[in-house]
Amino acid sequence: MSGYGGWAGKVLRVDLSTGRIWTEDTIERYKEFLGGTGIGYKVMWDEVPPGTKPYDPENRIVFATGPLAGTSAPSSGRTAITTLWPTCWPIPLVASGHMGGHFAAKLKYAGYDAVIIQGKADRPVWLMIADQKVEILDAHEIWGQGIRAATYAISEIMGRDAVVAAIGQAGENLVPMSNVMNDVSHSAGGIGSVMGSKKLKAIGVVGSGSIRIAGKKEDWGKFIKYHLSLLGASNQQVVPSSPQPWAEYYDPTTRWNASRGHRWGAAAHPVDTGICDPHDMNRIAYRSNTAAFFLGDGVWPHTVRGNGCSSCPIRCHTILKVPSVSAKYGIPAVGQNTCGGLKFGRAFFKKFPDGPRGMTELEACMVGMHLADDLGIWCNYGLLQRDFIKLYYDGVIKKKLGAREFASYSWSKYEKGDPAFLFELLPRIAAKEGELGTAMGLGTGYMLERWNLSEEEWGKDKALGYWKMGHGKHHSSEETGQCGLLINLMYNRDSQCHSHSNFTRNGLPLTLQKKLAAELWGAPEAVDGVGDYKPMHWSKARMAKWSLLRKELHDSLSLCNWMGPWVASPLRERGYRGDDSVESMLYRLATGDDKDREGLDAVAERIFLLHRALTIRGMGTREMRIRHDKIPEWVFSDKSGKPPYTKGTSHLDRNDVHLALDLFYEEMGWDKATGAPTDRTYRKFGLGGVADRLAERDLIPT
Amino acid sequence: MKTPIASKGFCGDEGTRRGDAAAKRAAAAIRERSANSQLISGSEILDLLNAEHLTPLDAGQDIHGFFTQLVDGHEDLHGLSGTGSLWYYSSDHMTEAYAKIMFHQQEGPLRLIAETVRQNASTYRKPVPLDIFTRPPFNLTHDQVLRSLATMTETESYGDIARTTTSASGIYLYCKTHLEADHAAMLAEWLDVGQFENP
Repeated sequence: MSGYGGWAGKVLRVDLSTGRIWTEDTIERYKEFLGGTGIGYKVMWDEVPPGTKPYDPENRIVFATGPLAGTSAPSSGRTAITTLWPTCWPIPLVASGHMGGHFAAKLKYAGYDAVIIQGKADRPVWLMIADQKVEILDAHEIWGQGIRAATYAISEIMGRDAVVAAIGQAGENLVPMSNVMNDVSHSAGGIGSVMGSKKLKAIGVVGSGSIRIAGKKEDWGKFIKYHLSLLGASNQQVVPSSPQPWAEYYDPTTRWNASRGHRWGAAAHPVDTGICDPHDMNRIAYRSNTAAFFLGDGVWPHTVRGNGCSSCPIRCHTILKVPSVSAKYGIPAVGQNTCGGLKFGRAFFKKFPDGPRGMTELEACMVGMHLADDLGIWCNYGLLQRDFIKLYYDGVIKKKLGAREFASYSWSKYEKGDPAFLFELLPRIAAKEGELGTAMGLGTGYMLERWNLSEEEWGKDKALGYWKMGHGKHHSSEETGQCGLLINLMYNRDSQCHSHSNFTRNGLPLTLQKKLAAELWGAPEAVDGVGDYKPMHWSKARMAKWSLLRKELHDSLSLCNWMGPWVASPLRERGYRGDDSVESMLYRLATGDDKDREGLDAVAERIFLLHRALTIRGMGTREMRIRHDKIPEWVFSDKSGKPPYTKGTSHLDRNDVHLALDLFYEEMGWDKATGAPTDRTYRKFGLGGVADRLAERDLIPT
Repeated sequence: MKTPIASKGFCGDEGTRRGDAAAKRAAAAIRERSANSQLISGSEILDLLNAEHLTPLDAGQDIHGFFTQLVDGHEDLHGLSGTGSLWYYSSDHMTEAYAKIMFHQQEGPLRLIAETVRQNASTYRKPVPLDIFTRPPFNLTHDQVLRSLATMTETESYGDIARTTTSASGIYLYCKTHLEADHAAMLAEWLDVGQFENP
């Protein structure tokens, strides 16, 4: 083991086919890829040959943390899970899912930076990690159980301090739209069935160690306080949603919804969230109530408190108490989740009897969380539900199901917005039961293929938000113009990048955002107002590159890209500036590796390049521009019929998008004609071996 | 930079002492009220000074001079004036933006709503959801909001305030001086519906 801090030092390897368990030295093999997705892509490149399928024993599942996991760095609770993605259509390619909770920290305390699973067990098993003691144990008693029962059963064995990441019945049944979940509500979508294919029900971890910080204790403490001072609310929104005495600005649409009179009404002793002055470090956790943001003010009386991940003061999971669901649906009155998980149930319905943001919508959320977070169903960033609505109201479901199966669903309940309908639908998706259950569990691309529907048509519907390769948009052109578009083109699932949208949604007036943008990306033209988009500018390509590298950096360090980056702050005295060096300062202090911001960005670029190389190798073509970076038709259309870049529209111009791609590829050092990285670029970032292997397959631009 | 208050404008030693004591007490009252996120009016301050026998002026002297010197002499104290009373706040406890909202609150629901919509449109180029006016710190009743909207449509001086309704039935107000109708409608739809589909 080297003298570096931050890393635990070992990577745990488990071969479920042979039962072999061994370790590797993290620094020796993976330091140049940091951790998280960096380790994931490296393992996938080195060990998983092209042509491998997600459920083949040769596929790997890489649960990887980064050097900041288990430290007190704010928002450092993320685990990246990399594998071949079963919902990636028409061929599975590499992608990653990300979960918060306490799994990352606990794994580090047990002594491991990552767990790499390969092979396939001959019977259901779970993996027990208790410091140096690692065992593959029989799981027949929990196979067939939901995530909660599995979590409790393993916790009974390992103790109350255990963190359990488990799959539900959906993963066991090889439903591609399935997830893995730890701490009851922290999930990573898309990979449940890959665990299921390996017969791996769960990983339980307890750890008694600690993580050494290489820097001086006082320097670390001082920097953590500085980082905390830059924090805003959930998604780094730095302006409160209502006027506050300390605030120069307010924006009714931010997630900073604490205010006098907004109370956690279901707490044992109700708590007023108060004015939350940004200088008060002890009230950061009160700033956001995610459930109230999505579901309206009616949620405050049902709020118990916020919950969240290791070392994160932003408690983005809201714990809700809704007693009426116990009486009506026989489920527990308390549930918790955030964003897509919170809205899982309500998102299936077009309307509710008491209108939007009423009690029925809240109850649908509770039912959805109760079912989906136990069965382990993934929402594909809401596309599952949007698909379902379209398929039903377009009459496709009726057409594709036999009369008997169609009649087995209570469609009148569905149309009325009765949450009880979810009890009919979700268990059948998890069990692959019937045509509807099976099709909805496939993911959009494979569902369209099964039902002989056109992907092109799917891509024309703006409200549907389909993007490409079986996945939906994730903060794309409709809210961040060309920058969002470029980011959404890059991945093999929804992009999961928030670097750009957390900036444009931070709540500051556009004039201030432009001022900060000029400092960060070279020109104020990098950002536009929503619905007031302007033609492509080179600074937008630079912002897109920065956003992608920050995402990969966060995913590799265990920082949360949902909460960062921290380039804007709520501090008026700083001109609302944040600090673009937060990541590198944390990294240097934690590890002792003397990389500055530019040095660490170069590592992030290496990691992102490796993802591109994996995609090129997986697709067997270097023609990324036309075959991978495809744009859905809705991006170019607007129902108003007005030309692009007219105020009040959000569509883009085709020629302008071509220019955007040219400028972006150029910024990345990629070939403009193909969109593939050049040999020179691979070598510049230390990936000469990767370039050589690609050249052997004629996958480097000439 | 503001000038120190000293005893400018007060006559003689007694006048100076009385003026200083009154200014000190008035400044404390403003700060105290601001710490509770509220403004204090000039008349309230005078009532308080009179009650504590700190009347700052002799008969016939100009009360405006006292308040002008008070504000000029304290870096953190500021006054707001409109058609009615003068109101005061301390920027140690409250931003100018917040103080203006409190000020418009004193002027009644109609003006509070209109000025808030205008300010949001000029600063943010965004429409404002109607329901913020029933939340803190606006705290209007639903009826007050609806009555104000009805009055606005019939009053020429509020002709710049318009409304748009989203597909989720959300009502948004915007100022036509700063936002075109189509842009306002698109933004309202994004804020009320679109952004929640992009969590």
